[in-house]
Amino acid sequence: MSESSKIHVPDVPLGRLIRMPGGKTAGQAIADAEKGLASLQGESMKELNRVLAKAEALYARADGRFDALVVNAFYALINGAIGLPTAGKDRAIDTMLVSLADLLDYYRTSGDWGDKSVQVHLSTFQLLLRTEGVRDPQGTELILAGLRKVSRKAAKG
Amino acid sequence: MGFSSDPRARFNLEQVSILLLEETPLGMSILVQILNGFGGRKLHRCDSVAKAESIARETELDLLIVDAMASGGGYDFVHWLRNSGIRPNCYAPVLLTAAHTPAAAVTNARDCGAHIVMAKPLTPKAMLDRIIWVARTGRRFVESDKFVGPDRRFKEGGVPEKVGAGRRREDAVQGKG
Repeated sequence: MSESSKIHVPDVPLGRLIRMPGGKTAGQAIADAEKGLASLQGESMKELNRVLAKAEALYARADGRFDALVVNAFYALINGAIGLPTAGKDRAIDTMLVSLADLLDYYRTSGDWGDKSVQVHLSTFQLLLRTEGVRDPQGTELILAGLRKVSRKAAKG
Repeated sequence: MGFSSDPRARFNLEQVSILLLEETPLGMSILVQILNGFGGRKLHRCDSVAKAESIARETELDLLIVDAMASGGGYDFVHWLRNSGIRPNCYAPVLLTAAHTPAAAVTNARDCGAHIVMAKPLTPKAMLDRIIWVARTGRRFVESDKFVGPDRRFKEGGVPEKVGAGRRREDAVQGKG
């Protein structure tokens, strides 16, 4: 810490406001928030289908080679989609999206391109969207573990 | 500390002025549903850094929930806020959400001055734990040439241990580094 540092304890109104009379119990608040998220499920699935269509178009544009513009657009698309499946309580799709973002982040910084690694993620994306609500949890977990291995292996070169 | 996210504990967000910065419409809807569920009513929705800066200049804020955004604009906004001198907003608690933290942005995420970085996907339980954690009073603040933000050297327990599986484990508390 340099000598010009100033350390102080600022007033934080949040601490007082949150204690005001009224409000909700934490349990009720979480239940109400989950109910609100459930109302977004249909919108979330529609958006994920749009993301998949755009991702497939970008994959086709890459045409098996590294293309900085395509990879950056692809990464931005997938990065923006992480968290959207939460509205549909679909953590499997989120796990797949994180794995794909890891992979694309590696490619955009290294200049490499692994066509099959990207393809397997997109195939899984399709599968997870088609089987939403009727999936076997154990089988899904095995598929996701496989994807994580693919992105880790790619990052290690 | 007097209150917690124990299911029976009460808290009140009705009078809390909250800025939300999230560029995707559905991402914003997710945040709004979570905060409305918590009883939050004073939500300032911003889909760009420019709008967030404008709100921060004009409105007194008690809490900010800022997405890092693919461009890294969220980090820049928090850094701007901390160095803006706009009181009391420059000291307000900031929860930074991040979908994916690219290798190139790890330093920004650590040093921008947020209280907590939360990895997406967001869950109501994880969000509430963190709001309650940042609402605790007595948090030290550092202002130096190189860093403006909550003191990262404090030794305080709390969030975010055992708050769920998966990416929640990657959530970083500014202050343990």
